[in-house]
Parts: sequence; structure tokens; C-alpha cells
Amino acid sequence: MRRLKNILGNQRGFMLINVVFLTVITSFAAMILMDAAPRIRNNQTSMRLIALNLANEQFAYLESRAARGLEPDAGFLGEGEDLINDSFGNENMPINFTVETSVTGGGNLRSVTVTVKWQSGGENFEIESERTIRIVETS
Amino acid sequence: MRLNLKGRFALLKRRDGGFVLIEFAIALPLLILIAWGLASVTAKIFYLSKNQLADYVLETEAQYVIERVTQRARAASSITVEREEKYNLKIDKIELKYRAVNDDPENANLNVADVLERQIFVVDNKKLHAKRIDDGASTSPITGDNYFGGTQINLFHCDLNETEKILHVTLEMESLISGHKIKINTAVFMPGYGS
Repeated sequence: MRRLKNILGNQRGFMLINVVFLTVITSFAAMILMDAAPRIRNNQTSMRLIALNLANEQFAYLESRAARGLEPDAGFLGEGEDLINDSFGNENMPINFTVETSVTGGGNLRSVTVTVKWQSGGENFEIESERTIRIVETS
Repeated sequence: MRLNLKGRFALLKRRDGGFVLIEFAIALPLLILIAWGLASVTAKIFYLSKNQLADYVLETEAQYVIERVTQRARAASSITVEREEKYNLKIDKIELKYRAVNDDPENANLNVADVLERQIFVVDNKKLHAKRIDDGASTSPITGDNYFGGTQINLFHCDLNETEKILHVTLEMESLISGHKIKINTAVFMPGYGS
């Protein structure tokens, strides 16, 4: 017991300057965390969902054309205003989507690839969707 | 023996008499500052987690609604769209009739079941209801009332192009927790429309 008392008695505690430094460092860490936390949220899954549905829209119009015997068209066939989206607080800076279509294949069957691209936070994103479309023969 | 100021402090430090007032006065604001910082960060993390869950619910429900409507519409043989202005919002009521099973003349069981089924999508109290019978009752919505965050439908708009057999759907939903909105536009080709 006496030995323990001696050991504890010889221990030096924190000095005030240590505590001040610790406080300053902790405050900086807290500031950085609070600043960085909102950036952790990532809306790209929602953007992908929006993009995928835009690709489906393009496929719907391509299938409709094919059912009437028309060849697939490379441009976006849906509603033009659908390409501008202000979801998730992007009211002031709406996201512009672009839809590109590439068609390969011969005969009645066409392999169609629709690529939807967008830019968010200075980064470029894109999704690709593929489908086979049969051109109906009209006599 | 009289001690000067330095000597008195040295004497105080040697004694294990606890904190002096000045130490306590400095330590307390520092402690409060640290506690405030930690509490702020914790509160912020909880707030962001809550919003993130609410946004996840919003996204999932929007995806579910759009997939359910487009899948039903894909097999539709007829569609009726009623334009409605509810809560100062553009909200349509849509009724689809579709074949539930393939028409297989060799299969007697399928032929018995081969009837046109009806599906009605109607918004009531800003929640979407998928109903078989239009009896006016709105008891089981397929959106909203989620424990992790309620949602509401701001816009549900369907445009039918009978010539091209295309149904264009626009859906905008809003989270009641985070206030974030998601707007999805899509279209579906209905090969069996009018048959």
C-alpha cells in the first residue's frame, strides 16, 4: 500500500498547457468533422435511379418505333424537359442528363445500348443499359 | 518566517490540498468547451443518420411505385387516366386493365384464369393506393407511414399516347423528415394496348 502511494505520489499530472493544447486540437478535429459530415451523403444512387428510368423511357420510344416498323433513332426521343432534374436539393443547380443511343445488328433484330451521362460535384457519371429490339416488318 | 508570492505558490503545490480556485476557473470553461464540441458532433452525426435513412426510404418507395406502375402498364390492354387537382398538386388517377396470364389455348387452367384484371392507382392524403376495386376506401397505402421516415407524393402525372402505345409517367415524392425531393420521369411501351 505504501509502495503504491509512493508510486502515485511521484506521478506527474497534466499541466495546464497540455490541456489547452488538447482542447485546441479537439476543437479543430470537431470543426473538420462537422464540415466534412454533409459531404458523406451521396446522392448518386438516386441519380442512377433517375438515369435508369430515363434509359427506360428511351427504350419505350425505340420499341414503339420498332413496332411500327421504324428504325431506332440515335437522339433522345422522350420529353426534352425530363433531361433536367432538380431532385435532392439541386433546385438552384439542376442536373442535366444526356442520353446517347448506339445501335448494332442486322436483319430484324437490333442490339441497342442507351448511355445516360450526367455531371455532379465536378465528377462525370454514366450508366449503360442494353436491350434487343425487334423491328416489325410492315407490308 | 514570511514567504514571498513565489514561495507561497511553491508551498501550495507541495500540499495535496486539491484545486485552487484559479485552476478550477480555467478548467471549467475548457471542460464545457470540450463537452459542447463533442455534443455538437454527436448531434450532427445523429441528424445526418436520420436524414440518410429518410432519404433511403424516399428512394426505395419512389423506385417501388415507378416499377409497379410501369410493370402493370407494360401488360395493359386499356388505360384510363383521370386528371385530378388535389392539394393544389397535379395528381392523376390511373386505371389499368391487363391480362394476368398468358393466353394459352392448350391450357384449360390458364384459360379459366385468363380474365382482364383491374388495377387502380389513386393518391389519397398524399399517399399512393393500389386498388383492385374503386370503392372509395383508402386504408392500405403503398407509400408513406414508414417508421424511418414518412413520404408524400407531390406529383403523379400520366400521359397516354394511344398512337404510339406509350404511357409517360412522372412521379415526384418528398421526404417529410429530410425535406428532400426525388423526381422520376419514365415511359413504358405497351405492346398489348388496345388488343
